[in-house]
Amino acid sequence: MSLDEKQLAAHLSVIGNVPKTANLRTALGMKIRAWWPYYLMLLPGLVYFIVFHYYPIYQAKLAFEDFRIFGDNLWVGTKHFETLFDSRAFFQVLANTLIISAMKMAFVFPVPILLALLINEVRASGLRRFIQSAIYLPHFLSWVVIAGIFIAALSPSSGVVNEIRGWAGLSPRGFMTESGSIRWVVVFSEMWRSAGWDSLLYFAAIMAIDPQLYDAAEMDGANRWQKIINVTLPGITPTIATLFILNVGLFMNAGFDQVFNLANDAVRDQIDIIDTYVYRIGLQSGQFSLATAAGLFKGVIGMVLIVAAHTISKRLTGKGVW
Amino acid sequence: MARANSTRFERLEQTIIVSSLLLMVVITVQPILNLLAVSFSDPAQVPSMSGLAVTPSGFSTDVWMLLLSHPGVQRGMLNSVFITVTGTILNVTFTALMAWALSRPRLPGRRILFVFVLATIVFEPGLIPDYFVVRELGLLNTYWAVILYKLVNAWYLIILIRFFEEVPGELLEAAELDGANAFQTLWKVVLPLTMPALATITLFYLVYHWNEFLRPMIYLTDSAMHPLQVVLRKFVLEGDKSSMVGVAAMTNYQGAGQISSRALNAGMIMLTILPILAVYPLILKFFTKGTMSGALKG
Repeated sequence: MSLDEKQLAAHLSVIGNVPKTANLRTALGMKIRAWWPYYLMLLPGLVYFIVFHYYPIYQAKLAFEDFRIFGDNLWVGTKHFETLFDSRAFFQVLANTLIISAMKMAFVFPVPILLALLINEVRASGLRRFIQSAIYLPHFLSWVVIAGIFIAALSPSSGVVNEIRGWAGLSPRGFMTESGSIRWVVVFSEMWRSAGWDSLLYFAAIMAIDPQLYDAAEMDGANRWQKIINVTLPGITPTIATLFILNVGLFMNAGFDQVFNLANDAVRDQIDIIDTYVYRIGLQSGQFSLATAAGLFKGVIGMVLIVAAHTISKRLTGKGVW
Repeated sequence: MARANSTRFERLEQTIIVSSLLLMVVITVQPILNLLAVSFSDPAQVPSMSGLAVTPSGFSTDVWMLLLSHPGVQRGMLNSVFITVTGTILNVTFTALMAWALSRPRLPGRRILFVFVLATIVFEPGLIPDYFVVRELGLLNTYWAVILYKLVNAWYLIILIRFFEEVPGELLEAAELDGANAFQTLWKVVLPLTMPALATITLFYLVYHWNEFLRPMIYLTDSAMHPLQVVLRKFVLEGDKSSMVGVAAMTNYQGAGQISSRALNAGMIMLTILPILAVYPLILKFFTKGTMSGALKG
């Protein structure tokens, strides 16, 4: 569902990324005539995927129907899609989705790379572990909690940010309720939550760089920065490329949980994205068909993007998205 | 001389690097510590407390007493624990079973089954079709609606398959020769060898269930079934203080009248974070160490 999960999986795959042992081919399988116990083990999972992932695809036909509370729905073809593409509201949420994703790409994406480079320069391992333990934490907090933390920290009356602004003689601002600042709150809260944790991926890539390369650079008289630019950065370029492509693949997921919890009536038009729009018009206003159409539109674009990302990544780095 | 200069310069560089990282640590941790401090402060002193404070002004457990004695919060905690524990047990069981079968290279139909699972990652029809499926199955307003969602997370499944594939074939073969069936081999050979991966996935399912708020909000209309995240959301984000804390609880608790919403919010947020903080050392242990060793091996 969320960007998050996919990034978690990307992290997890780092652990799994050990060379395959050669003896997979040892023909244990030959000795097992009946595979039925394995199919029995697969069964509950397969039933789950059919019911909760494939059946909803069939249910998405609602996008082409008028919803009836009683009796069968009426087939109306592309009516709801036409309504959608005619509505200014939809283009607003589409634009917001793209803008927020692009802002995150520009301002959040580079931060973990920088963090990993800096962490790598900390020689004392105890201090390094302390820094890492602290900055990974927010990744495991829910967006409800993070929204609560940001509301408190950005509060005009008692928040720490406005208190610091006060030292400089600046008057307090309600960052959460001003349309000029809310997108930056989205960007910054994303950074607060995931920059630390994402740096782990790059840090793992740095750790995998052959130490001899550093030794060689040192012999050539390279200083710290020259080593970073000539050894470390090239070493993590494939990881940067893979994650950049993955992020492009997930461009339509601007962050439902985040926007849903940070939004309020004063700023909704600035950060309402397709996902929150689907929730609002579907589950709150009961326009089920229109909401399904919007969701389906996003699903199809998302599918194209992620498949393209996978193909490109596979071709460039030899590693796909899955 | 030039050498001494460069070391002094390097020391300066090191100081700048470490201090900028420590600044990151402060930005990350301070807002949380501030809420903790506010929640344990003397309620009368909370309104004048600085957002920078990381130690309580005065000391009082009034906020925590009020929250923990409130039926709505107690209910939310029980619901969260029930959904998280039941959900995680089912998640891990069915993910492991499926991963074991799919990790067998010669399983007939393995490729098709992979595509079958991967397709669900690639295309997601959206929130509304999901809702209608749950409704049609009669699962609305049951815990099952929340527990069964993401029963098998396709990403975690793929990761687990990769780990299971690393188990040396000779060990599996030896188990077979000893007469172990597929279940026994999984239980006695594969799982013990892949404990760190299993632990990591268990922790992530745990965190996922604990943090989930959207599905419970949509599928559970009876607020007595709501987990803590939904209670927190109503409380902090929707500002529903009166029904949450309730007149009864307010009057039952001596001194509740002077507790500000700022203090209650802080306490409620900290209460919701607490279980995450409790498992966080385990996450660091299994996950970051695993990542490091994996990277070093690779």
